[in-house]
Amino acid sequence: MYPYLLFIGITTLMIGWIWGVLYAPEDFQQGNSYRIIFLHVPASIFAQTIYYFMSICALMHIVWRVKLAAYLIKSAAPIGAMITFIALFSGSIWGIPTWGTWWQWDARITSTLILFIMYLGILTLHGSFSNLEKADRLMSILVIVGVVNLPIIKKSVDWWSTLHQPASISTSGSSIDPSMLMPLLISIVGLGFTLISLGILSSRLYILNREKNKKWVLEHV
Amino acid sequence: MLRLIRTESFKLSRKLKSWLGPQLILVLVLIAFPLSIDISQYDLDKFYFSIIVISLMMTAFISTEGMFEEDFEDGSLEQEFLLEQDFYKIVLSKMLIYVFFIGIPIALIGSLFLITNGADFDDLPKVFSILCLSNILLFNLFSFGNALSINKGAMLGVLTSLPLALPVIILLGRAVRTIQYGEGFFSIIILMSGISLIVLAIMPIVISAALKTHID
Repeated sequence: MYPYLLFIGITTLMIGWIWGVLYAPEDFQQGNSYRIIFLHVPASIFAQTIYYFMSICALMHIVWRVKLAAYLIKSAAPIGAMITFIALFSGSIWGIPTWGTWWQWDARITSTLILFIMYLGILTLHGSFSNLEKADRLMSILVIVGVVNLPIIKKSVDWWSTLHQPASISTSGSSIDPSMLMPLLISIVGLGFTLISLGILSSRLYILNREKNKKWVLEHV
Repeated sequence: MLRLIRTESFKLSRKLKSWLGPQLILVLVLIAFPLSIDISQYDLDKFYFSIIVISLMMTAFISTEGMFEEDFEDGSLEQEFLLEQDFYKIVLSKMLIYVFFIGIPIALIGSLFLITNGADFDDLPKVFSILCLSNILLFNLFSFGNALSINKGAMLGVLTSLPLALPVIILLGRAVRTIQYGEGFFSIIILMSGISLIVLAIMPIVISAALKTHID
């Protein structure tokens, strides 16, 4: 199923990006530099979404001992780390023309950096143990405790006076003009499908690797 | 519980490097830092609280580094678990003893250094209470990181617990401002007390789960 999802994802993402970069109007304050939102915003959204997904899996692994849930965490963590890095990097690039700096110790940016370190911590913790069942369980505990960072990231722009702007899209509506909002939403959907397909591929490979000595894997391969 | 507290305090008091070492490191850092940079006393007065906060974080990490490792290696952790059938009390008593033997002294050292570096003497109780509460939080978070990594080295402990400790540092930064500007101190101390109580109640459960995984 993942090749179809990947195809849909990349096609939608390309439509969103081409629309956003070539056809969306220029921002009256930021000019063309704002166009990085078509990468930065979807990446930031999924950096947190992937962690939420991992925390649900971690809860399932801790409470019901679902082995597959731990496999999903392990497969999703590198993707989460990658997308968080993209969010930070694209934010840095956007920071130069708008704030005049690559980096600012701002609450939102710092809390996203914490999320990135968290992903690295999860991956390192899992990689440190040769007993994989033990590693799965410890990783799940860390993922659950790390959830405490997500409301901090979300609310950082409201709790602290930050350089980073507050959320432009919320449940009550959007402050972005529809001509810019549409390609942005398409980019979010496109990146979502792309990441789901990458997640399926990554978990597939991981499950095959973990279960390589089982009979069903030998038959499948 | 009392037996555990007695045992833990006896064990820690015998390990001089575990409780005295971090305090000496803190003193060394607090003395060395102003000497190593060329800034005026006026600037130092403004920055010194931040230096104390970061030194405290380092000291808390160093203090908790071997909290479970030695007991795990020599089998006494397993033995205690078999005796008590539960890790919660063991972790809680360890935590209380570490905060009492190391956390409170380093909070006192930090407060005294701050007073000698320009802070108002009347602020001493405020500074001390904030540093004590932050120590409770930091000791819990770092011992969680060390319970996860147990005998896999400090790097893993840092990677797993530092992201959780950074919000505490941000909160401490806000507490520092309330002391410096003389406004909103009570709201921040109530907030920190609430968080400390929650962390002190929940974190031993989480640490117990991690330790149980190691012993299984």
